Amino acid sequence: MENKLLSINNLKVNIEDKEILKGLNLEINKGEIHIIMGPNGGGKSTLAYSLMGHPQYKIIDGEIVLEGKSINELTADKRAKNGIFLSFQYPEEIPGVTVEEFLRTAKTSVSGEVQKIMAFKKLLKEKMIQLEMKEEYAARYLNLGFSGGEKKKNEILQMSILEPKLAILDETDSGLDVDAIRIVADGVNKFIDESRAILVITHYNKLLEYIKPDYVHILIDGKIIKTGGIELAEEIDKNGYENIKAKFSN
Amino acid sequence: MITWRRIGLKDYVFPDIKEYTKEYLKNINNIPVDVKLNKITECANNAENHKFDISEVPALGKEFTSFVESSYNSGISIYLPQNIKLKSPIRLEFNMDDKNPTVVDHNIIIAEPNSEVTIVIDYNSDNKTKTFHNGFTKVYAKEDSIVNIVKIQRINDHSYNFDSNIALVKERAIVNWISIELGSSISGSNYSSILQDMASESNLHSIYLGDGTRKMDLGYTMIHKGPKSLSTIETKGVLKDKSKKIFRGDLNFKRGARHSKGSEEEYVILLDPTVKSDSIPALLCDEDDVEGDHAVSAGKIDESKLFYLMSRGLSEKESKKLIVEASFKPIIEKIPYEDLQKVISHEVERRLING
Repeated sequence: MENKLLSINNLKVNIEDKEILKGLNLEINKGEIHIIMGPNGGGKSTLAYSLMGHPQYKIIDGEIVLEGKSINELTADKRAKNGIFLSFQYPEEIPGVTVEEFLRTAKTSVSGEVQKIMAFKKLLKEKMIQLEMKEEYAARYLNLGFSGGEKKKNEILQMSILEPKLAILDETDSGLDVDAIRIVADGVNKFIDESRAILVITHYNKLLEYIKPDYVHILIDGKIIKTGGIELAEEIDKNGYENIKAKFSN
Repeated sequence: MITWRRIGLKDYVFPDIKEYTKEYLKNINNIPVDVKLNKITECANNAENHKFDISEVPALGKEFTSFVESSYNSGISIYLPQNIKLKSPIRLEFNMDDKNPTVVDHNIIIAEPNSEVTIVIDYNSDNKTKTFHNGFTKVYAKEDSIVNIVKIQRINDHSYNFDSNIALVKERAIVNWISIELGSSISGSNYSSILQDMASESNLHSIYLGDGTRKMDLGYTMIHKGPKSLSTIETKGVLKDKSKKIFRGDLNFKRGARHSKGSEEEYVILLDPTVKSDSIPALLCDEDDVEGDHAVSAGKIDESKLFYLMSRGLSEKESKKLIVEASFKPIIEKIPYEDLQKVISHEVERRLING
């Protein structure tokens, strides 16, 4: 099926010999928004890092298939070139490189096309206005001295510039005030179209007031134990994870 | 004969020093007439040389400095009268080749009260000649003067480089050193400031890059004598291949230097497990009421940073290069010539990508 973007088949991932993902399955088609929820320590961030190819997250078993090809063996840069993007929960500060220089370099790497300076400037400015970011941030060192909210917006800026096929947002909404959540959600809604998909990892329901997911998955103890629609998120908001957990273990 | 084990010199004998025939003084326009700027080989007498005592600082050692004083073939003597502030830097370039394989430069800079000058010296060479550089630069910064010295060493990998730099800093005067160390097979470089009087100040910012089998000895000393004197040492380096480096940074607070402050920081990125990096920061205090900080850290590139950059499509090599260049950038940007900034950035890039 040509609509299929990502298949995760029975994925098992270790960090330092400790099994965190214990046989996870997930299918994502183009045009879809997926939400992953779950208690702390269940493996949400591990899933994000494993999809992006962090060297400390070792795939023990299973397969990650992107557009029909296994990407298990690819390093993070190759995965980025194949269209995967991760919005980090804690973006790194890189002093000495400005947001603009960095994004131009990254866009060149990911797209394989040299970015003309003036055209890129224009594109960047446009995207920054959409995200209500002050223009001066383009000339600032990457994430250095940015507030939590500014760092997250900068991640969404990178996503909208790099135009990946699959964007993974790892707790992009945590630590944001309501206005920032609205802006981030707006960025997500502008980004999604028939050629891409989004996987949102979140703790909260706030974001779901603005984003309409196609699927909500509950990730507990290294596995997706339940999949549903937005009503699942609403149920968790009311009753927490205990009910679902209890049902699952029975 | 010199033996200097740390950088692999044994029974070393200085080569014969030839005349340096190229023009090395690059811009001497717009210099006010009362500034005395001369090539040291053309000065009738160097009386100024003896007006200040810097004997307590050994620099690279008597063998090296005495040799410069007796055998120099180049260098400048500059005398800045009171209140003269030179707006554009004085620029020197030594380009060694088979006809001019040796540079022994002796530079004397006297800044009278409230004067200001920036001197940029670029040492380079062709790619193949085995060249030799041994220099000695002396700065005498009198009350309220500012002297900035920028040195760029990018001599080829077959050559030996030795450089001694000493400043005597008087009341409220400031001496800023910038050192860019990129070349030579063996390089010994030393910068020392004597903070003689009240509120005198000296800052050193340096970067170094070790690749191939280069051996480097970097020695920086700040001697605080005057009260409320200030000093900073900030060094950033990267080592790859089988290069070796010794960093020694001394903050020396003498009796009488109360309320003085000194800080030193060295940060080195190790790109290969085959490099050798020694760092010896020292804090010496004869006076209690001083503040001295030192921080030295050596490490591999932060894995989280590397992953972050790679997740944006940069290869591992590109990511490492970007992190190193980024750490060098604030220091390179202090160099007052854009063309030199570019030359340095390209040289850093070339050496990081090769091998």
